[in-house]
Amino acid sequence: MTNLSSSPTSIDPVTASVIQGALQNIAIEMGYKLMRMSYSSIIRESEDFGTALTDATGNQLAESVQSTPLQSGPIPGYVQNVIKVFSERGVSFKPGDVIMHNDPYGGASHGPDIALIVPVFYDDQLIGFSGTTAHHLDVGALSPGSCGIVDAIDVYAEGLQFKAIKVYDGGVRNEAVWQILKDNVRAPGMVVGDMEAQVAACQIGADRFIDLVERYGLKAVNDASEALMDYSERLMRQAIKDVPDGVYHATTCIDGFLDDPDRRDLPLAVTITITGDEMLVDLTGTAPQVSDRPINMPLVGTVDISIWLTIRSVLLDSDIYGYIPQNSGLTRPIKLHVPRGCLANPIFPAPVIARFTPGNQLADTVMKALAEAVPEQVSAGIGNLKVIAFSGLKEESHWVHMEIFEGSYGGRFNRNGMDAVDTLYANTRNNPIEDIESHLPMRVTRYELREDTSGAGRTRGGLGACRAFQFLEPGGFSVEGEGHRFAPWGFRGGKDGQTAELHLIHADGKSEALTSKVPYHTTEIGDTFFAIGPSAGGYGDPAERDPNDILEDVLDELISPESAERDYGVVIRNGKIDDEATRKLRSA
Amino acid sequence: MRLIGVDVGGTFTDVVFFDAETNTTLTHKTPTTPQNPSLGVMNGINELCRRFSIDRKTINHIYHGTTTATNTMLEHDGAECGMITNEGYRDIIHIGRHQRPQHFSIQQEIPWQDRPLVKRRWRKTVAHRITPPSGEVLTPLDEDGVRAIAAHFKENNIRSIAICFLFAFLDPSHEHRARDLVLEVYPDAFVTCSSDVSPQFREFERFTTTAINAFIGPKVRDYVTMLEDSIAKEGYGADLHIMGSNGGLATSSMVAERPVLTILSGPAAGVMGGAWSGGQSGRHSLITFDVGGTSADIGIIQNGQFAEASPRDTWIAGFPLMVPMIDIHTIGAGGGSIAFKDKGGAFKVGPRSAGARPGPACYGFGGDLPTVTDANLVLGRLDPDNFLGGEMKLDLAASTKVIDKLASELGIERHACAEGITTIVNSAMANAIRSRTVQRGLDPREFSLMAFGGGGPLQACEVAALLAIPEVIVPPHPGITSAIGLLTTDIKYDAIRTAFQVSGQVDHSRVETMFNEMESQLAHQFDADNIPQENVRFMRYADIRYVGQGYELRVKIDSDRFDTAAEQALFSQFEDQHQTEYGRSFPDSPKEIVNVRVSGVGLSTKLEKQDKPEADQKDHALLKTTECVFRVGAELITAPTNIYDRSKMPAGSEWEGPAIILQQDTTTVVRPGDRFRIDDNGNMLISISI
Repeated sequence: MTNLSSSPTSIDPVTASVIQGALQNIAIEMGYKLMRMSYSSIIRESEDFGTALTDATGNQLAESVQSTPLQSGPIPGYVQNVIKVFSERGVSFKPGDVIMHNDPYGGASHGPDIALIVPVFYDDQLIGFSGTTAHHLDVGALSPGSCGIVDAIDVYAEGLQFKAIKVYDGGVRNEAVWQILKDNVRAPGMVVGDMEAQVAACQIGADRFIDLVERYGLKAVNDASEALMDYSERLMRQAIKDVPDGVYHATTCIDGFLDDPDRRDLPLAVTITITGDEMLVDLTGTAPQVSDRPINMPLVGTVDISIWLTIRSVLLDSDIYGYIPQNSGLTRPIKLHVPRGCLANPIFPAPVIARFTPGNQLADTVMKALAEAVPEQVSAGIGNLKVIAFSGLKEESHWVHMEIFEGSYGGRFNRNGMDAVDTLYANTRNNPIEDIESHLPMRVTRYELREDTSGAGRTRGGLGACRAFQFLEPGGFSVEGEGHRFAPWGFRGGKDGQTAELHLIHADGKSEALTSKVPYHTTEIGDTFFAIGPSAGGYGDPAERDPNDILEDVLDELISPESAERDYGVVIRNGKIDDEATRKLRSA
Repeated sequence: MRLIGVDVGGTFTDVVFFDAETNTTLTHKTPTTPQNPSLGVMNGINELCRRFSIDRKTINHIYHGTTTATNTMLEHDGAECGMITNEGYRDIIHIGRHQRPQHFSIQQEIPWQDRPLVKRRWRKTVAHRITPPSGEVLTPLDEDGVRAIAAHFKENNIRSIAICFLFAFLDPSHEHRARDLVLEVYPDAFVTCSSDVSPQFREFERFTTTAINAFIGPKVRDYVTMLEDSIAKEGYGADLHIMGSNGGLATSSMVAERPVLTILSGPAAGVMGGAWSGGQSGRHSLITFDVGGTSADIGIIQNGQFAEASPRDTWIAGFPLMVPMIDIHTIGAGGGSIAFKDKGGAFKVGPRSAGARPGPACYGFGGDLPTVTDANLVLGRLDPDNFLGGEMKLDLAASTKVIDKLASELGIERHACAEGITTIVNSAMANAIRSRTVQRGLDPREFSLMAFGGGGPLQACEVAALLAIPEVIVPPHPGITSAIGLLTTDIKYDAIRTAFQVSGQVDHSRVETMFNEMESQLAHQFDADNIPQENVRFMRYADIRYVGQGYELRVKIDSDRFDTAAEQALFSQFEDQHQTEYGRSFPDSPKEIVNVRVSGVGLSTKLEKQDKPEADQKDHALLKTTECVFRVGAELITAPTNIYDRSKMPAGSEWEGPAIILQQDTTTVVRPGDRFRIDDNGNMLISISI
């Protein structure tokens, strides 16, 4: 028998591939278990959770593929901050510890996204962390639910803060902390049940991580992890290198608080400088922080994730490049510069809990800056989202239900925009109507596309959705959203899309228009909450759109014959293109 | 009783004949006719009868595994459909769960938006609405509205129509009324009601399932009808049954009405065949491992029973599907999977496949990319002169050339590269098995790996070793396992109702009534199929979750009356399953029965046993000895390896690896240190050294 293999100096590509597949598999299993075990619909139906493994210094090794990107992405930031806080406090990690963390000034995406983190030990050595995050229904803020808390004046008003707290210490449950938690959140059963599911998922991750190290040895796992990060870094560097060197700039605006002249129409500015295989993203020019309203965005956990995810979705689009491992290597070539004290780098204790839709607008702004550089890889402007907390009181306990209202994507080089979906850094799921009505005192009375509103273009923008919720018992709601004032941008000659709207239609038929941010608002039986989603921007000159495609859209009642004529110069009569009239109109 | 099973594969159509009186099994192969698969089916049956002089009139049943439904979805080549749904909800199947299939992509397609099953212009709404919990009518059905839509569809020749009303699972009568109205106006229409196809909550998934049925319906119905006609015309006395995705057979008329039940027809037959072959050797805990050219199908058998897929995890061509299906996990890894160095410098294998054409480089059809098959050839694990029983010569030089090219790109040696390809593909397969075992609380060490398909036995021992699975089984005819599976199953129908009953407040009589209604509905169906009552068995199940959870676990109900004791046993069983699957249970939390289900089985005549191998002495089995490359621990070694002819290996004989065993339809690779024997049932049982 002959030995054909020489002893490798670094890890061989086969072993690396095998270990990397196994790491990915562990993160997926964690996500699978968390999603199926959890109670609140925001985790199990909306999939607003994340799972990841990191190395001992908090570098991300693998993340779950099921979860929403804004959840898994921040886990390394949570872990790195916990390590820092522990070292400042002189606390050490022990086997059996479970650490709770949600400090938005310490890596957390925002307060309701609570991480549970388990340190992983092998032969008494700390080898990494197994972490999960999940959006919790209520964290004891000033009004029910954990979204739409748009009137919080500082982080203390946003609910409980857990700054690297051991909820299990060396395997012993810290009962006092759990009791404080239960006493200070609404719907404690749901919240604690979801946290138990998070702990279980972390422990599974830790066990599997240890099995992997036992099978291949710590050195091989570390080498494979390093190789994986280097690999992701190489891909990103290559992709950046393919972008022409230069400086690319874009500005968009968020609504802010439209009924408050001092806190509205706030610019987000992005300047991207490409030099070889590196990228600098500079947010200079972004509006100063709003010190007493929670639309500021944590730099670590929201702003960084928003930027990174947009860049990878554009430059390393998974539809073209296939699955690329998400890990810390992917972000090494990207440097951020965010002036302290702006919306995107607020100073403690400025509130941040409603940072979700501003962060997604930032993602859109990053895409707009990249659009100049790689016009065929972007979409025209997206329609932004809304998060609504519906709630009510049944005897002495609260019910809370969260819904994310969809946006839409702008037209793309080769395809129309996606209709009625979550956009950019969010990718949650709606709740089935048949589930909502079977379990809550609410009725969904409409869920359809918003016809005849898309931004015209060579490819058209996606359509928003119309969704209406009727209260069958007295209750309340609160809203954090964007996109009521600034329409999604058209690109390369495409037209802008349309802004979103929100109406409260009272039982007596009177309608009340709402802005994109509504603090807790009570409702009566029969009140209907009616959301009209934004329709996205068009891509390219509408005159270049194939009349047959326009005919299809008219037949499908996505656009009206009037719009076809006005926006595209195509005349459609009785379900057929009038060639003669169209030629005349288009050549005019 | 004389039976024929016919399975249509990508390349060959396999036919198996069984005579229960004489206990004779005969097999035949004929090329598949992709344009019209029924031609290949008839050729196969006719050729078999001619070859073995079987009187066509004496055949009682023909059982068939078809790919028509699957291919219609994969090729998006179904009927132009219409839909009638509630006013205010026209776009449920367009918006879906408002989630993009890919997180990190701007350019992606959304299947239900970019290639809708029912175009928006044909999605029509009528005033109608019922509400939970009992189906109270909020807005009565606008009957004139339905008639007007039906007339519009008729005028436009939209013949296949889906009727999808919210909460129809609570009360199907409104959908049925709409169906009757449509048929009054348009008697030729092919109408599918959501409450018939999948009476359970989650409207996007249910409506989509209904639309799939409408989309593939006319095509599958035509196919089944044509096949039935040919069978009658050519003088067979047999009736036709089709394999369903649920692991049971259904009558041709049932399939003509609900083709959506046959989406996994072929792979399901494979799992059934694998389970049966393993059972021959007394193995009832099996992982079935069916590897073809482009993909590997994995199924789990416990106590001789297959696992059923969670309705949240079943997809076809990117669309969700909510019908009972065997849990078959398919990954894009097979003999034709292509190895490459990607842009970031990583060594990758698949999911892109060279398929059958151009195929691996060694086929000589112009393939110039290294595949798993090329790697096996370079490692000496395939015999260039004895592939597919010698029907095809393999070009070793061509394989070596493409492997060398990749090896130099990766900066590694030829055999390290070839072995790397197999290790990477084996790891992917092992991860896929892990996701269906370890991740569900099952220990793979308690299973045997049942390897079949052209590629399963080549990779199985190494995959088993990665998972510490102690035993690999290779059945006597690994290439026709699906056709055999057709002759080992019963007629099976499922019924389901959404119940929403919370522990402590369960309305036992209501649940019992639901069970009774479902059982009588199925009994009626069996009666229509001429299956005598004494051959019919019913099994009751419930889908349960903790109140507030979004995922259910399926729990079997052992008592035949649903009372307080049955409820307690059911919830206690649920706690146990939750503990096994997720590692936790929460006994103090309230539980909810979401759906109740009944599976009805009509027992039918089946294959009895595999034939004992004919060979009687060991001496003639060895063909030659050659040098093969294996991985032992972290090292690659070349080892002298015996090549055997399986047909010359007698029952009871024992052997040692490394070895390569050739047979007509596959090659089995046994690693150094593994031992194997042929048992009286013809199975090859390989003990894996770990």
